[in-house]
Amino acid sequence: MEWQLERDAGRLVGRPRGRVDETTWEAFSAALTAAVREAAAAGGLLLVVDFSGLDYMSSRGLRALTMAKREAGDAVKITLAAPNARMREILAISRYDKLFDVIDAVGPAA
Amino acid sequence: MLVRFWGTRGSLPVAQKADAIRSKIARALVAAGGRNFADDAEAAAFAEASLDFATYGAYGGATSCVEIEGADDAYFVCDMGSGLREFGIDAFRRCAAGHPRTYHIFLSHLHWDHIMGFPFFGPAFDPGATIVIHSGHPDAEQALRRQQEEISFPVPFDWLRAKISFEVHGMAEPFEVAGVTVTLIRQHHSHDSYGYHLARDGRSVIYSTDSEHKVDNMDAEAAFEAFFAAADLVICDTMYSLGDSVSLKQDWGHSSNVVAVDLCHAAGAKRLALFHHEPTYTDADIQRMHAETVRYEELVREERPPLQVLCAYDGLEVTI
Repeated sequence: MEWQLERDAGRLVGRPRGRVDETTWEAFSAALTAAVREAAAAGGLLLVVDFSGLDYMSSRGLRALTMAKREAGDAVKITLAAPNARMREILAISRYDKLFDVIDAVGPAA
Repeated sequence: MLVRFWGTRGSLPVAQKADAIRSKIARALVAAGGRNFADDAEAAAFAEASLDFATYGAYGGATSCVEIEGADDAYFVCDMGSGLREFGIDAFRRCAAGHPRTYHIFLSHLHWDHIMGFPFFGPAFDPGATIVIHSGHPDAEQALRRQQEEISFPVPFDWLRAKISFEVHGMAEPFEVAGVTVTLIRQHHSHDSYGYHLARDGRSVIYSTDSEHKVDNMDAEAAFEAFFAAADLVICDTMYSLGDSVSLKQDWGHSSNVVAVDLCHAAGAKRLALFHHEPTYTDADIQRMHAETVRYEELVREERPPLQVLCAYDGLEVTI
């Protein structure tokens, strides 16, 4: 799992690549939590997690998203963007598409 | 070994209502499309071959009770939910055919839905029966006696005629019961619960219900992966979706289908039985959850051998 974090106008975009499973979830969780803290420190930026480079995520990764959301509280909104078909199914089966906003593309900053 | 499910519902017994049965019959008639059947057997064969389980069958509504056949001259039963009543009736039938009247019962925990079958357990009234209740909880006897106090039930515990004893087990060492090697693991649940590893002749069954795998303590799952290692069948609490288990139903003491698959994958288990079904779920809901779990297993399997995902229902038998 690789992770890149970019900042553009008014938001942070985290880009995980590869897969998040029992061997990589801790690195993903650490990167995600750090991004949440950075977004909060910057005054509550939107954090978009760009799933377009992600093969899939098992429950460990999904639960890392939950931990990040708890860290974010009301200060930072987390949005999931551009999941592939496999990841979209996993979000639906786990009902994580009810817990997070899921958008089709990262799109330009507002 | 043979695993027989007598009760698979979580928390509270449920029963089908008339509208649910009517809906099943209506779907079956539509599917039959005007066919004629010579007799009930031919119609039943059509139903099983052509209809989905939620239409031609039912998952049942009795609470947790699972029998494991394969011990030496004794019955093995995990939990005493409302499914225990029917097990007791069937045990009388088998005892009449010569089965020894010894019962080893393994309690996951003492919550009501896991002990409510005991006051209706016929063999407890059999003076020739021996019942050994195994538990990780030192207060198991107190829990069973309390539910038969007069305020709750008309027959006090001391009126039972069977020879009943209690054995409290620690987790340090496996122990032998009637030729089966038994190991316990403590699970996260209110007042704790215990999972059981039952092994014989190179085969193993895991009974792990009412076990929450906390989102902020995922490191603890390594112990469960080791406990489930290479199991032939893992019977696992899959009451909620993962989303529910980390939000609305967090700290309710239960797990999800998705986490169960991941634990079984990491453990190299061969089969997973979805268990402790949410009482508000209809048969269609449970069937959908089963299909989704099968699909999730495919989506995250990668190079692993396939994990067979079964959905437990009252009456299901699985040969190990």
